[in-house]
Amino acid sequence: MLAYVIRRILILIPMALVISFLVYLGLELTPGDAVSHMISPEMMASISAERLDALRESLGLEQPFFVRYWIWLQGMLQGNFGYSTAGGVSIHTILSDRLPATLELSAVALLFSTIFGCVLGVISALKRGSTTDNVLTVTGMLGVSVPEFFFGLVAILIFALKLQWLPVGGRLLPGYDSYWDHVPHVIMPALVLSIMMTAGVMRYARSSMLDALSKEYIKTARSKGLPEWRVNLLHGFRVALTPVIVLIGFRLPVLIGGSVIIEQVYQWPGVGSEFISAVRSQDYPLVMMIALLSVMAVLTASLLVDILTALIDPRVRLDK
Amino acid sequence: MDTIVETLLEGKAISAVGLLPNGPLKPEGLNAYKYDPDKARELLKEAGWDSSQELDMVYYYADQLTADMMAAFQAYLADVGIKMNYRLLEGDVAAQLNTVPEDPVNGPSAVKWNLGYGARAALALQEYYNGFATGSSAHTPGSPEMDKLIAGINATSDPAKLKTAYAAIQTYENEQLDTIPLYYQQLFIYESTRLNRNGHEYGNEQYNYDWGIVDWTVEPDADGKKVLYTNTAPAQFFEQPWLNLGIWIHNKVVFDHLLVADGSLTSFGPQLAESYNVSDDGMTVSFTLRDGLTWHDGSPLTVEDVAWSIKTAMMIPTVNPVVSNTIHSIEGADAYSDGSADDVSGIALDGNTITLTFATLDPNVLLSFSQFAPLPAKYFPDIDPLQIQQSSFWQKPIGSGPFMVSEVKMNDFTTMVPFPDYFGGVAKIDEIVAFPSGDGDGNLLKNAGAHKADYGFTKNTADVSALEGMDFMKVTPADIPYTRMMWINHYPMN
Repeated sequence: MLAYVIRRILILIPMALVISFLVYLGLELTPGDAVSHMISPEMMASISAERLDALRESLGLEQPFFVRYWIWLQGMLQGNFGYSTAGGVSIHTILSDRLPATLELSAVALLFSTIFGCVLGVISALKRGSTTDNVLTVTGMLGVSVPEFFFGLVAILIFALKLQWLPVGGRLLPGYDSYWDHVPHVIMPALVLSIMMTAGVMRYARSSMLDALSKEYIKTARSKGLPEWRVNLLHGFRVALTPVIVLIGFRLPVLIGGSVIIEQVYQWPGVGSEFISAVRSQDYPLVMMIALLSVMAVLTASLLVDILTALIDPRVRLDK
Repeated sequence: MDTIVETLLEGKAISAVGLLPNGPLKPEGLNAYKYDPDKARELLKEAGWDSSQELDMVYYYADQLTADMMAAFQAYLADVGIKMNYRLLEGDVAAQLNTVPEDPVNGPSAVKWNLGYGARAALALQEYYNGFATGSSAHTPGSPEMDKLIAGINATSDPAKLKTAYAAIQTYENEQLDTIPLYYQQLFIYESTRLNRNGHEYGNEQYNYDWGIVDWTVEPDADGKKVLYTNTAPAQFFEQPWLNLGIWIHNKVVFDHLLVADGSLTSFGPQLAESYNVSDDGMTVSFTLRDGLTWHDGSPLTVEDVAWSIKTAMMIPTVNPVVSNTIHSIEGADAYSDGSADDVSGIALDGNTITLTFATLDPNVLLSFSQFAPLPAKYFPDIDPLQIQQSSFWQKPIGSGPFMVSEVKMNDFTTMVPFPDYFGGVAKIDEIVAFPSGDGDGNLLKNAGAHKADYGFTKNTADVSALEGMDFMKVTPADIPYTRMMWINHYPMN
């Protein structure tokens, strides 16, 4: 397995390079540049082209595409993430501020959705065809189908504006900085973010569990006189867990990249909302860093899924 | 335009007659060009309009209201036999809109559109017309008559002479109609019932004026703390205060200016300056600072800081054009900014007084210095002026105004507390809490509904209607110099 892991890690390098180049190229092909987003068109009409060119030069934007990409790449290889072109803040500082917020929100959402999704999926499978199963199936379909911003806005309307149980958004209020002060702020966005994730996990867990329960070894286990809970959980659920782990594994990148929509709806100061504003202002270094982190998270998650699958299911052999 | 104002704009705008907003400088008798489709058809017939020709109209506001307005314009034009298609400009909008032809009299056009929809948001009223000077416009060829009229509104700061000059240029423009004025945008100031301005006036909130925030009061919360909630806090950095002069809350409360304007930005009094003097010919202006002024960190605020700020602003393009024009009118400014001189000959310091000598008359000197915020020079040692926004200073700036930045959680909130040594007295509000947003706050209604917006302003008419529906919110319209217009490209296309 060790050789497999090393091989996969080595493959990450050229993949990250190619993807970073494609992202940089995509930004290059977007109309305008960082300067055209700094100043409104109305005000720009009164500023001479020479002065704008000087500003572009000071930000290094006048260099050809490949030169700029190469400079960025060199910096990355030396561990220098660079500075935001919009405000000159070091990208290290920006990410240090934003990543904890995104991790906090996404980890809670991932935890909720994994627990609820697996439990409800198993219940739905064990009670196949019952009213409970039907209700859970319809609820799951709704959870998957309705956009999360809709749930987000409805939740704000009910819990923040009408009932005033929870804050309308943000991560903290001034003067409150303990861990417990975060809780009221994170509950609503985390629950909303977890709705869609829960629904997905539940649907997967249900079908996977049904598949497992139809296998011969389940009959064999029952024939040995094992208690039903033990048949279901140890023999059925353990095998059913494999595809569910794949699904959850591929959601791990949200821990790094954040949820763009939920962070926007809840004014959550995380990586997702930062990414949106960076793309809008064509802040190349910041967009590149966040994109690269997300790519690495996806590739790493893929590797983790492979390893976990092999650990859970002895039939899977990675190095073959 | 009246129908569009009443329907799409929900009555929250004023149909425009002339580019200049309504006010004392507007002459009587301007033609309002009321809606008359029969006359339009007749004129088109007389002109031999080719009805198969399709006009290309561009705009740059990505909101639904503007898209709806484009559809309305298209229908009105189609009704009189003009085909028009519209498109949203993206990317380097300024270049696509404003590129001036190499031959500014005969063209051909350097832009690719026939009609353009946009706005002029002016700090100084000259901004409405200076863009029509020969060689300045992407759409209207220069003319000696217009150049002369433009020179007239820039040649004096005498109110009586200015009124005559503005009357002449508006009458000429109203007859020529090179650009079609559409409507005057209003600004809407919202305040919760918790807030009391204690009689201080309303004005153009996009800029800085004497709004008396030191005297404002707000009802205390359950803990007895008087907290004012607002928006326009930074998301990643505090924008330097020389570009969008009064848009961000920190521009308004953290930085003071040499002078202070009234709500209409037309008359001025001292602020950081204890006194000021303008020579009879308007070519020399001096400011004497108050004794004992300090920055929020306790260090003295000196004329050296003011001089450094002016010289630094000369070097950077991201300065409001009116302010930029003022400081570039100072004697020696061009030589300093192009690197051929080490200092600015038109800036002299004497004790607590800074004297500015101008190479060309600028009618907006006092206006500019009511908006231009001096910065503490010591925090920018050896900085490349072009990189000023990149300084770490803008993570928690030190200013001179009635409030100082206290706690910053970028993209979450910023708090500001009263500056205890403020020369104008200590503010009565205990704390300002600002949430991040730009112009057009997408979270405004949510925050307002949750009682987390006690003060702010917006131009979004849909938000205004919703805010008016909240019984704890008061909305006050303010007339501001902000005219929406339709540009006609008079140059021939390639």
